[in-house]
Amino acid sequence: MTETLEIVNTKAELVLDGVSKSYGANLAVRSISAEVPAGKVSVIVGPSGCGKSTLLRIISGLDTPTEGSVTFEGSPVTGVPEGLAMVFQDYSRSLFPWMRVAKNVAFPLRHLKPAERAERVQEAIDAVGLAGKEHLYPWEMSGGMQQRVAIARALASHPKLLLMDEPYASVDAQTRADLEDLLLAIQARLGITVLVVTHDIDESVYLADHVIVLSAPPSVVAETIEVDLPRPRDHVTTKTDPRFVEIRGHVTRLLRGAGRPADDGTH
Amino acid sequence: MDTGEPLGTWQQVGYGALGVVGTGALAELLVRKDIITTPGFPVPSDVISKLGTLLGDSIFWTEIGFTFREWLLALVMATVVGVVLGGLMGAFTKVFIAFELPVEVFRVLPSVALGPILMLVIGTGMLPLSLTVALACVWPILLNTMYGVRATDPTAVQSGRSFGLSNLGIFFRIKLPSAMPFAFTGLRVAASIGLIVAVSSELLIGNGRGIGGFILVRTSQASDLDLVYAATLMAGLMGIAISMLLTVVDAKVFGWKKGLAQ
Repeated sequence: MTETLEIVNTKAELVLDGVSKSYGANLAVRSISAEVPAGKVSVIVGPSGCGKSTLLRIISGLDTPTEGSVTFEGSPVTGVPEGLAMVFQDYSRSLFPWMRVAKNVAFPLRHLKPAERAERVQEAIDAVGLAGKEHLYPWEMSGGMQQRVAIARALASHPKLLLMDEPYASVDAQTRADLEDLLLAIQARLGITVLVVTHDIDESVYLADHVIVLSAPPSVVAETIEVDLPRPRDHVTTKTDPRFVEIRGHVTRLLRGAGRPADDGTH
Repeated sequence: MDTGEPLGTWQQVGYGALGVVGTGALAELLVRKDIITTPGFPVPSDVISKLGTLLGDSIFWTEIGFTFREWLLALVMATVVGVVLGGLMGAFTKVFIAFELPVEVFRVLPSVALGPILMLVIGTGMLPLSLTVALACVWPILLNTMYGVRATDPTAVQSGRSFGLSNLGIFFRIKLPSAMPFAFTGLRVAASIGLIVAVSSELLIGNGRGIGGFILVRTSQASDLDLVYAATLMAGLMGIAISMLLTVVDAKVFGWKKGLAQ
């Protein structure tokens, strides 16, 4: 308990303390403890099936841990906390097809006055570069544009913590790079706390201030790595930086060690 | 030998008209050439000329109006009950379990048979007729809404939850809107059933009102079968018009349903 108190006193926005989740006899995550510092980008990376999404659901209050606790801004998470927004991998399913873009983005803002709501919607749509697309339906747009709408919808609620579950796993490589840079630009401008879950090592190092590496299931935190690469980052300079290559190699080795036995050792 | 190429609008209209005119002409020929000698078999040309007379008859128009209003009232009642109850049954297991048996029992009852009882209970006029029609119309709407609600994308529901929506909020803001195209399909089915039931219950339990009542009154005075056929044809034409209207509404209002994930 004293450990938890110390953590709350630092600038950690989100604290996981010994979080475990089992489904019947099947243990998905095992005693995960981690901190997500305020105003930074944290990335959870792990092999597929390591319970990353389970962990994110627990953090967002959509699911409850079997053991341990999650603390957001000093109070324990029991339901979906105020000030949290989530972006799902499956953009086409998470957006509402009966609403045009503007209505989708306005969805979390029902409690606001119409004028203020319209202002917030416009601000969020501008932030993701979708001005002029307000009257389209999401299904009339490309995958990358749909994910921008989902990000705008999350931003419109002015979240303190933005959770993203494999947000770019279903878009093509070029769109993915663009959306990664969009996220970094928005984060730098708004200073919000971002927590991304991904299985992509390159993406984790490129985005993160620190990377939380999970082991194979039942997952534990293998290591937390500070990424001291300078910002603003870009796909050419950052990814050819020897430090980037070094960190990426380190994460890769951790995941290989943590994952199933290496296939044949040729890499 | 169908190439699978879609037909143009005018080709569709053309082939459709050909089918209708062809069937009419064939029937005409069979009767005129004494191949069919069954008494009472409709002669298309006689029926059409009778229809012409009917269209000039202001009483007939009043009765069409009566049937239309009776049908509309029934459809409104069936839609309200069907969407609300079907929606709740789709979303909440407890509601489903509570209403499953009553729905299954009432669904198989022929509503026209209930008409006379309804008339005894609530008296004459439009209401017992509309209730009879509504009892037949409510099921496709109810069942479609129920399955539509159940088919709501779980990711959409999760998104709603991540914005802090309660169960009721999820129901009204996500599940019900998502089920609306299904409910409307049910309504289209119900609209056709409703017209059939409306005319038949007017024939069976009516008091001389509506298209069915009109047929009843006129044929009791003189056995004029052409008039029966003409009035029935009019009911059919009314059904086609309503069905076309609903198709247009479907495309306009629920065009977004192509965005529902498969």
